[in-house]
Amino acid sequence: MENIERDTLEVDVLFVGAGPASLAGALRLRQLIGKHNEEAARTGGRKLDEITIAVIEKGREIGSHMISGAVMDIRPLEELLPNWKELGAPVESEVTVEDVSYLTRRFKIKSPIVPPPLNNHGKYVVSLNKLIRWLGPVVEESDVMLIPEFPAAELLYDGDRVIGVRTGDKGIGKEGEIKDTYSPGADIFAKVTVLGEGSRGSLTKKLVEKFNLDEGKNPQVYAAGVKEIWELPKGRVTPGFVMHTLGYPLPNDTFGGGFIYGMQNDLLDIGLVVGLDYQDPYTDPHRLFQEFKQHPAIAKMLEGGKMLYYGAKTIPEGGLLSQPKYFGDGFLLIGDSASFLNSMKLKGIHMAMKSGMLAAETILEALVADQFDNARMSRFADKVKESYIHKELYEVRNFHQAFRHGRRWGLIESGLQYATKGFGLLGDLKTEAGHENMKKLHVFNRRPNAPGQVPQAEPVKYDNKLTFDKVSDVYRSGTEHDGSAAASQGSGFQHLRRSLHGGIRQSMPVFLSGSRL
Amino acid sequence: MKIIVCLKQVPKNDSVLRINEQGTWIQDRDLTYEINESDAYGLEAALQLKEKHGGEVIALSLGPARVQSVIKEALARGADRGIHLEDTAFDNLDAYGIGTAIAAATKAEGFDLLLTGLQSDDYGFAQTGVIAAELLGLPHTTIVMDVELNDAGLRVKRELENGFFQWVNMPAPAVLTIQSGINTLRYATLKGIMAAKKKEIKKLDAATLGIDAASLAPRMEFRRIYLPQKNKQTQFIEGSAGDIAAKLIDKLKNEARVF
Repeated sequence: MENIERDTLEVDVLFVGAGPASLAGALRLRQLIGKHNEEAARTGGRKLDEITIAVIEKGREIGSHMISGAVMDIRPLEELLPNWKELGAPVESEVTVEDVSYLTRRFKIKSPIVPPPLNNHGKYVVSLNKLIRWLGPVVEESDVMLIPEFPAAELLYDGDRVIGVRTGDKGIGKEGEIKDTYSPGADIFAKVTVLGEGSRGSLTKKLVEKFNLDEGKNPQVYAAGVKEIWELPKGRVTPGFVMHTLGYPLPNDTFGGGFIYGMQNDLLDIGLVVGLDYQDPYTDPHRLFQEFKQHPAIAKMLEGGKMLYYGAKTIPEGGLLSQPKYFGDGFLLIGDSASFLNSMKLKGIHMAMKSGMLAAETILEALVADQFDNARMSRFADKVKESYIHKELYEVRNFHQAFRHGRRWGLIESGLQYATKGFGLLGDLKTEAGHENMKKLHVFNRRPNAPGQVPQAEPVKYDNKLTFDKVSDVYRSGTEHDGSAAASQGSGFQHLRRSLHGGIRQSMPVFLSGSRL
Repeated sequence: MKIIVCLKQVPKNDSVLRINEQGTWIQDRDLTYEINESDAYGLEAALQLKEKHGGEVIALSLGPARVQSVIKEALARGADRGIHLEDTAFDNLDAYGIGTAIAAATKAEGFDLLLTGLQSDDYGFAQTGVIAAELLGLPHTTIVMDVELNDAGLRVKRELENGFFQWVNMPAPAVLTIQSGINTLRYATLKGIMAAKKKEIKKLDAATLGIDAASLAPRMEFRRIYLPQKNKQTQFIEGSAGDIAAKLIDKLKNEARVF
């Protein structure tokens, strides 16, 4: 396999993963290069000519792997594209109604005030998927190469310097055999490689391990977000409605909460975030989400509606104290890959974008100096520390850890943290990797009923109206794999749905046949 | 050999579809798109013919600005250049209108072979290629599974029913509508993607093609589109076996009217 002839491409700057971090970074870099050249023309300085910037993405299209329906702090978008409204950025609505509630098994108790950290006044409900599908062409037009369907498979090194990535081979069967569509991965070389892979990126994990970038840091802890998009009868959804819940169905010892966002066109975004540092081995975020929807207050909201889409993702919750060293010889880490996420507000899009934009400033300086070593890249950390994202991360640095001893204690400690700019009662808190918290089954007085069966106090019934089993939900996730192909690197759901494109199909128009509606 | 392939951009076939407010078609907001399935096989067939016999492959698509992504994808896979038929006069055309525009554009261009998919995944008319052929005054063959070149022109394999096939000899130039699944679609390579950026996409509008509004006027309209209604009914018939049989026959005859 080693004397395969591979396509190669040389670029100046390569971003891996076309999410908010990379796209904002690539566009900012192009803007900064433009400004630099104008300045150089005026002062007779050295211009940066023909700098090539590329973004590779594993998804079928730019945006297709984005699932977050979110409340977004739009500061970075305003900095990046001050005329974003005229350009038609597809935000759903400014936040109009806010509701923070505590759920018991039967009741919903609405907080009389919205706690300041959860206040979303002036922020926007967005579908990240739509936002990125819109931003992609804007970035492309600024002369950035966007290359979808090219997953990065491994980093390329020259000694200890990152010099690019090798993309994944295509046309490999599930037994690893080479099919007649085989197309070997390409080598893309860059002066700087920026990893914006999102949470748990496959290259990032290897890079962090290789250079011990997490030395002396808390291990990363994760939460899983499970969500669905519902269509409700006309007029029932208030765009900009934002609801956050605590309590049911999560046990006291499990971190997390529910969210419901009102979008345009009668769509409602509903989901549950569950900390993966839970103690009960049978904790199942998907099942808990079904229980959440069955809560009387929630079920009533969804009544008469129809579930359209499903998605799930992990959220890096560790925050500042879990951030790896996010720069080195020839590389930078941005967005979720570098744990740029506010674990209290569960907001990461603005931090992802801002971190990408600060990376762009760093890269501009590096291009001007024509130096891409660790010292030059370390400027990124300085820029982060001077920015509002560092301040924000600093203030919530102990938030997730505070909940390790249960929700009640967590609420008290985190309240104190809020008052003390993050210090709280106990100062900086250590944490363990999520799985270390897990306890043995007997602690919960449970035994598996049968192999593979999840013991439950009251098993969820999937009625396919309000509640859906995993297979139905995955079908609605838009996940599509050629059943005979090896799973691509880093895909979320594998082998669960077979391709619709198998062989010769008697060509009834699919959606008039009714099965897909 | 000069081959033009028509590529239609259609909603992705796993889209969740919602009916528009007028009840005449689906909502196009929030949709994502892809190349019509059988058109993609048409493109692959064209690329394979070019590899074997040399020549040129031109990717043609009709629609708003977004359909450029379909043309670009074809260029990345190996088509030599693109033609984009873009005009507000081309919005909401029926098969005859689309066939008219394709005939005008391809006639001006000239070709040896014009390929379309068998039918589109959205409307499913299966008429566009045939109409274009008639307007061009050229022979056509539908549901094509294989294309060979010979001295007289073409030898093509058609799909019939029940696993039967038909081989047809025909002269070129000709129009063929291609069946899905007849070949293995290739991936765009990085080289292909880079090369595609330099390839030409020619834009043509109705005026340039000399098409007047009257020839595009729809000959067909959608009155109403609706989800299939479920009207499953279950009845229990009681009594002795003889009674049940008699009642069942009566119901099948007079209520369900299956005899």
